[in-house]
Amino acid sequence: MKIDDFEKLENEGADSLPSEERRRFLRFGLAVTGVFVGGSVLSLTSARNAESAMGPVPVSGAFPYSPHYTMVIRQNRCIDCERCMEACVKTNNVPSYGYRTTILQQEREIGKGVKERVFMPVLCNHCNRPPCVRVCPTTATYKDKKTGIVMMDYKRCIGCKTCMAACPYNARYFKEENRAVDKCNFCFDTRISKGESKTACSAACPAGVRIFGDLTDYSSEAYKLIHKPEKVVWVLRPETGAMPNVFYMND
Amino acid sequence: MKRNNKSVMTIVGLAAVIGLLVFSSLSFGEEAYDEDTYGPKAPILWAKPLKAVAFYHKAHTMDAGLSCDNCHDKIFQMAAGTAEQEADFTMASLYKGKYCGACHDGQMAFASNTRCATCHVGVKGYNKLTGAAPQGKAEGKH
Repeated sequence: MKIDDFEKLENEGADSLPSEERRRFLRFGLAVTGVFVGGSVLSLTSARNAESAMGPVPVSGAFPYSPHYTMVIRQNRCIDCERCMEACVKTNNVPSYGYRTTILQQEREIGKGVKERVFMPVLCNHCNRPPCVRVCPTTATYKDKKTGIVMMDYKRCIGCKTCMAACPYNARYFKEENRAVDKCNFCFDTRISKGESKTACSAACPAGVRIFGDLTDYSSEAYKLIHKPEKVVWVLRPETGAMPNVFYMND
Repeated sequence: MKRNNKSVMTIVGLAAVIGLLVFSSLSFGEEAYDEDTYGPKAPILWAKPLKAVAFYHKAHTMDAGLSCDNCHDKIFQMAAGTAEQEADFTMASLYKGKYCGACHDGQMAFASNTRCATCHVGVKGYNKLTGAAPQGKAEGKH
């Protein structure tokens, strides 16, 4: 809506606020009072509920996602053919100056003077406590309540780029064409919502590195891979507390 | 200065030792890479069916001790780039024992379904070895 139209609208006043909103606000206010008085023990309602009531950042257990989309990356198989990057660019119109997914290279020492080359695909981790969602001033980015995908609403983005700074994985870039920040959305609008079962990168990988799947489906390959007791599964930068949703393993 | 046999011999001996050191090789403990014995020094780069695999003759001939006829011409042709023209130059063929899989089967050398990035240098390695400019990077001002 244009700003002129906004000015013409009538002020609704505080009388027509729904009870749900009032309760939410009160709950939050009482929790804050409790914290000030002496910690969450003394607050009249639990601070945890208040956090989920007030903010867009999900608290664990707050939203069970169904389906819960994830990607499992079998790092030892990646050979940097970059077919995933090409497929992503083609499917999602990613410009050349940015990326939705990229491949990092490392040559690390595994013995005395012996080095090995490792390729690591990186993309938006669709974190369960996303730092980008936490810092967005306009809620242009949000974690979808149904699928768990961290989505972008281009219309709301003001291009402040705080999310780009907040992301621990450098997964976001500013897209000039949209005048908004863009990032991987697990091909939701281009493939998943149209019935495809795999993202573009996952389908393009010739070595089976990227396994895209639904964690609520216990028969899916993604679920089975990260639940093998003998395999080490890790995430990138867990110390940030972002609780990423993309898992890495050597298989 | 008196010129006698002893000082002349000393100078000649010293010159011989210095000459031997200077002209022997670039560093001690390594022999010079002879392309006729060991094959081309530059890596063979395969970009088909995907980018890219780098094959170094030195690792196989000089370090591992293979000779030319261990691979040529039964497993690989001498002409560089012949293998990637074949339609069956895939990992599946390697697992069946063709091409590199003739030795890289887990017994004679590491299995071809392990240690992928040893040979697969990827697009980054390809660009580095061919000197191509990196794609899609913001150049100039940020």
